Amino acid sequence: MSTVGRGFAIAVIAAIAGFLVVPLLIVSAPVEPVMGVVQKIFYFHVPCAIMMFLSTFVAAAGSLSYLFKGAERGDRLAHAAGELGVLFGACVLVTGPLWGRKAWGVWWQWDARLTSSLLLFLILNGYLLARRYGGPAGKKLAAALSLFAAVDVPLVYKSVDIWRTVHPQTTVVPSLDPAMRPAFWASFALITLVWGILLTLRLRLEDARATVEELQLMVDDLAQDS
Amino acid sequence: MSMTRTVRFFIAQLARALPVVAALAAMLAGGPARAQEYVKVENVPREQLPAPQFVGAAYGFIMIALLVYVIVVARRLARTRGDIAELRTRVERLAGPGDRR
Repeated sequence: MSTVGRGFAIAVIAAIAGFLVVPLLIVSAPVEPVMGVVQKIFYFHVPCAIMMFLSTFVAAAGSLSYLFKGAERGDRLAHAAGELGVLFGACVLVTGPLWGRKAWGVWWQWDARLTSSLLLFLILNGYLLARRYGGPAGKKLAAALSLFAAVDVPLVYKSVDIWRTVHPQTTVVPSLDPAMRPAFWASFALITLVWGILLTLRLRLEDARATVEELQLMVDDLAQDS
Repeated sequence: MSMTRTVRFFIAQLARALPVVAALAAMLAGGPARAQEYVKVENVPREQLPAPQFVGAAYGFIMIALLVYVIVVARRLARTRGDIAELRTRVERLAGPGDRR
């Protein structure tokens, strides 16, 4: 097994161990007095939101290198990260309303944080759709869309500080009760590890697809020659 | 004359049908008129939602979403690797034994 393959295997084992340990930390974390048990959704909801942001930034960085340097590898990285942005965005947009229904009494509020998060999720979906159905210019169109998605990220993050909203503010994590920190940071580490594993796996798929395209061209050339 | 009689008949029928139409409209609008003032009610049971079910649903969704995604990507990767192996065989066959591309 190569060094990269060994590292990947260790990461997968660590992630499986994390999925066994982190829920125990979350259960043992103290119950928040105002919202009660439902606040425990926070331990996965926030890391998933951070991974959605990270995916968006990685997709934008890959798109930039593709648009300005013509780097195909950058485009492949952007595609992989864009898909992960949609995956973690879906996790955020499902766990959030579950938390909100219990804490606020409603599934959804058209406030700044929720609306801008939904917008980011839709732009990331638009990125994938443009790639798939955009025709010959689809990749460049999608790359431009991913830059717009990256611009939306700071807006999503600061929305709770700029506008009046029912969503908790950005001060929640820094001011977290010390007894809640181990559960949160362990959860964050686990989700980040899972994100890294998924990105590696997805990037391998993109690389394999590029190899298929190259080989297909080679087969076509050879078939014409013979 | 006949025209006047027809108009009178029509108006009479309309007047007769009006209460029925009004009743139907009230039914469709949600029955009797809604209260126009708020009245205090004592001892109303508070809506109790089971928090553990919400937490379980949230974690369950994340686990299932990640698991499904891993399975989908792994299957796509396996299929693509199969395509690579098949195309390499075709390249070798078409290029001949001496040609190493």
